[in-house]
Amino acid sequence: MNQSPERESRAPRSLAPAPPYAGPRHFTLPDDSMKRVLVADKVTVELSGKRILDDVSFWIPKGEFLCLCGPNGAGKSTFLKTVLGIVQPVAGSIEILGQPAGTANKAVGYVPQRKTFDHDFPATALELIVANLRGSWPLRVTRDERDRARAVLRRVGGEKLVDKPLAGLSGGETQRVFLARALVNDPALVILDEPTAGVDVRGRHEFLDILAEISASDELAAILVTHNPAAIARCAERVVYIDGRLIAWGLPNELLGQESLSAIAFSMKDHGKSLPADED
Amino acid sequence: MNLLTFFTEPFAQPFMQRAVIAGMAVGGLCAMLGVFVVQRGLSFIGDGLAHAAFGGIALGLLLGASVSHATWIALPFTVLVSLGIAFVLRRGKLRGDVATGVFFAVSFALGVLFLGLRPVTAQPVNVETVLFGSILAVGSSDLLVVLAVCALVALAIIVTWTRLAYATFDPELARLSGVKVELLDYMLLALTAVVIVVAVKTVGIALVSSFVVIPAATARMLGRSLHRVALFAVAIGVGGAALGLLLSYHLNVASGATIILTLGAGFGLALALRKR
Repeated sequence: MNQSPERESRAPRSLAPAPPYAGPRHFTLPDDSMKRVLVADKVTVELSGKRILDDVSFWIPKGEFLCLCGPNGAGKSTFLKTVLGIVQPVAGSIEILGQPAGTANKAVGYVPQRKTFDHDFPATALELIVANLRGSWPLRVTRDERDRARAVLRRVGGEKLVDKPLAGLSGGETQRVFLARALVNDPALVILDEPTAGVDVRGRHEFLDILAEISASDELAAILVTHNPAAIARCAERVVYIDGRLIAWGLPNELLGQESLSAIAFSMKDHGKSLPADED
Repeated sequence: MNLLTFFTEPFAQPFMQRAVIAGMAVGGLCAMLGVFVVQRGLSFIGDGLAHAAFGGIALGLLLGASVSHATWIALPFTVLVSLGIAFVLRRGKLRGDVATGVFFAVSFALGVLFLGLRPVTAQPVNVETVLFGSILAVGSSDLLVVLAVCALVALAIIVTWTRLAYATFDPELARLSGVKVELLDYMLLALTAVVIVVAVKTVGIALVSSFVVIPAATARMLGRSLHRVALFAVAIGVGGAALGLLLSYHLNVASGATIILTLGAGFGLALALRKR
């Protein structure tokens, strides 16, 4: 039996007392016959001696858009880092298209949080996208590479940004370019770590439109870490709610609507409201 | 004096020829390294490692080496300090300026301690010569060492350029694309240490650290892509060294200080143009 995990300090989540953990709540799960893009099997992660994730298991079928939710410090970003192979689990495993996490990075596109990269770096959108295509920073860009960059920028509604310096882009434009970068290798799975945090209202709405299109795709699976209820409502085909352990896995309306999960529903809504206005 | 003699007269002198070649080589290479270290928020690494080199030279003197041979003790000493800084930065517990500041202070203090521990019979050492060097006093053998080191380091940077650039933009994304970020971090600081040890002996601490910071900072305002920034920085480092030496010759003023002021004037000009 698992011990109660020690976790980093976190913001107050809910006024309602948390119910005792009685194992994961599984609601409507993906069809078992579907091809699995990501399989998380009893993933347990410890960082600096602290258990961050404990026995987390779920899977994502081809083309499914999954929102990964939970309070601050619940281990959402750690889970993404484990998917990317940056963090190794102490027990359990994550496989992407049958390969261990970290060995199939061309199959995974990653959109970081806006705050985590250098906005002063002298680079254009084209160079950033081609760098992901090549695995190194380009000195010169070939015609074929430029065409691919243009095509992927067109897909996210940002074709005009191709030769723009990154430093001059708005928050929403920057995230479009990073989404284009993530999509340029035609991945099977795209990972989005709170991509609209710090983006203005208009940019956030436009970005959600693009995510909704990805959600409608039957080819590309996605994991979106978000605190934004609007993003869940518009994009999520399935929701996983974690808090160190897997709390619930099912359809968005099941997790938000079930009376028996009122604490979770309250927590999710409460979380959205407790964030600054630009996070909602 | 016509314009031609303004340029040719100083370079008729062998010491000026050596000085300008050494200055342009060190200026260009430090500027190239500076593009990466400044972009990574390690602007003071030049200053820090130059002071660490002093600790290494002092250790060499304590072990009985002459001032010129002590450089070969300073080289591994400074490279170790640079690897220590890279290790601390990788642990992510300290900012670059803090890590550099701590290592710089400790190695400088060790230098002072080492000099004090020398036997009283040992030849006195002029600390100012060790610290401030003189570009006009570069000998032929020193020049050959500077050129050889500069060529090797430039080659290493050019070969790894595209990966270094990616790792400088965002280590996490570069790592996910398969770049060996950790190895490149150690390599960059170790190469910077090698160049600085060799350069400190010939051009002095103040000039080395300004060659690392000022051309890169100036070029950053002029270029829109990293390789253009690097080309501008190298041109500014090389040009600043040559022009500064020419001016110092004709004005009969200190050469190192004139080079730094020339680089500073270029920075001011770029800043003024940028604001318009």
